[in-house]
Amino acid sequence: MAAMTVTSAPMTKEELKAELEKTFPDLLPAKASVGDYLTLRLPDSAKLLPVVRHLKDKLGFDYLDMVNATDWLGPVSLAGFIREPNFNIFLPEGANPQAEPPAKTAGVDYRDAIELSWCLSNLARRIKLFLKLDVPRAGGKAPSLISLYKAADWQERELFDLYGVRFDGHPNMTKILTPDFTVGHPLLKDYIHQKDRFD
Amino acid sequence: MSNSPAAPELKSDQLFVNLGPQHPSTHGVLRVGLTIEGEIVVKAVPDIGYLHRGTEKLAELRGYHHCVVISDRWDYLSAMNNNLMFCLAAEKLLKVEVPERAQHLRVAMCELNRIASHLLFFGTFGIDMGAFTAFLHAFREREMVLDLFEMSCGARLTYNYIRLAGVMKDVPDAWVARCREFLEFFKPRLKEYDELLSFNPIFLDRTKGVGAISKAAAVDWGLSGPNLRASGVDYDARKSEPYSGYEKYDFDVPLGGDGDCWDRYYCRVREMHESIKIVEQALAKLQPGPILGKGVAKVPKPVPGEAYVHVEGARGDLGCYLVSDGNMAPYRMHIRAPSFINLAILQEMLVGERMSDVIAILGSIDIVLGEVDR
Repeated sequence: MAAMTVTSAPMTKEELKAELEKTFPDLLPAKASVGDYLTLRLPDSAKLLPVVRHLKDKLGFDYLDMVNATDWLGPVSLAGFIREPNFNIFLPEGANPQAEPPAKTAGVDYRDAIELSWCLSNLARRIKLFLKLDVPRAGGKAPSLISLYKAADWQERELFDLYGVRFDGHPNMTKILTPDFTVGHPLLKDYIHQKDRFD
Repeated sequence: MSNSPAAPELKSDQLFVNLGPQHPSTHGVLRVGLTIEGEIVVKAVPDIGYLHRGTEKLAELRGYHHCVVISDRWDYLSAMNNNLMFCLAAEKLLKVEVPERAQHLRVAMCELNRIASHLLFFGTFGIDMGAFTAFLHAFREREMVLDLFEMSCGARLTYNYIRLAGVMKDVPDAWVARCREFLEFFKPRLKEYDELLSFNPIFLDRTKGVGAISKAAAVDWGLSGPNLRASGVDYDARKSEPYSGYEKYDFDVPLGGDGDCWDRYYCRVREMHESIKIVEQALAKLQPGPILGKGVAKVPKPVPGEAYVHVEGARGDLGCYLVSDGNMAPYRMHIRAPSFINLAILQEMLVGERMSDVIAILGSIDIVLGEVDR
């Protein structure tokens, strides 16, 4: 093991996958992988911390690249927008939109869940890994990674602000981007904007 | 924007100082609530969100061509890199090829933009430290880069030059010569900057050993770009995952050692040397040919899928996570904004520093609030 952490030769996807499956055989391949990166799905939120701790301590993933969330409810609700958007880029503003609003596509796995994804990096061995986890849309919760990476601090607060997902163990789970008077979580697909004094 | 603007509870020997949001040295609308004891900062609470425009939400109803326009507005000081980042992600979903001439033009524009952005940092950091002259020099040169951009796409700030599968239009005939002229003019200027500011004893006193970030802390907080490399971590997206043909270019990645304000400053100055090298190589590689690839519809609808692309922006590792569900607008667009993630370390590193060093540290991190708040 010691020899493995010293080496800085680039790690391949297959090596990483084999290495992870030795310790965590219940990690599932994600339904949709992120580009060419290795993407794994966690069976439940209790698995997150052990897997990430193993990645950090044993496999050299010392860098939390990004935390992201996707609301899989379906195409965004038009009711949430104040102004009617125009999809046709060749028409002037205010013209009658001559295109259909986004509609559900067959084959896409729409579901009542928010998909969280974490991107972890091993800087020396130049490899990235995506971990995914589904949490419920209402009252979604996941463990916070702040005890392992301080980079999680503001990124988790951002997701709490925009999606309403709570991260357990975060010392300061408060809004960060939207103003105090914003009602709801704007990046949810069914978000309805409440008019405020600036509209 | 969640923190109450009122001062927190203070002990009798403490004082609350409200820095920003309208303050020249916060480089935008950033507010930092500082609690000081004598001259020492004991608590720092950065407050952001004043420039939040919800661009990630806007993208959910706009076509992929529209989103390039949105991308200009994040890091408006290096908009070319933003354009490139979004276009690379969308091209991955659309599976289209970019012609060679367009790739070299993209690289040349991005590196010129990096020079322009670092020049602005150089100038404003000088002002933060009380050196006004450097600013005038930097803006004279930056103006020349902006003129080059104006020649190629007509815009000076939000270019929208890099388009899906290529670039907007070819550069005019005189552009390459003008660009070489600028590079020749600029090279001796960099030496001048070293004499003027970099090794100026007063400047060194104010930046050397101030606000040091250790290697471990830089990685822990997820810093990227010159901030990370100043602490001695060799990580550059152009080298680790080359895009747009960067693997064919010969350049070095400048590293610092101590990770203090001066290291962060000087990393950027040395990056300008490297950018000159890259632009020269890109100009030499330019061959006549098409500048826009085929296969991009007027309203592109990529097949459902997910892509993540990261590029080395002027401020750090700029990433775009793009999800398509087959509609004309991205289902989800998430931006890994380097300024946002770099800024988070402020709450920890300002503690224990002197009040007079706060501006030096804030300036050396080099943030753009358009990108912090998105």
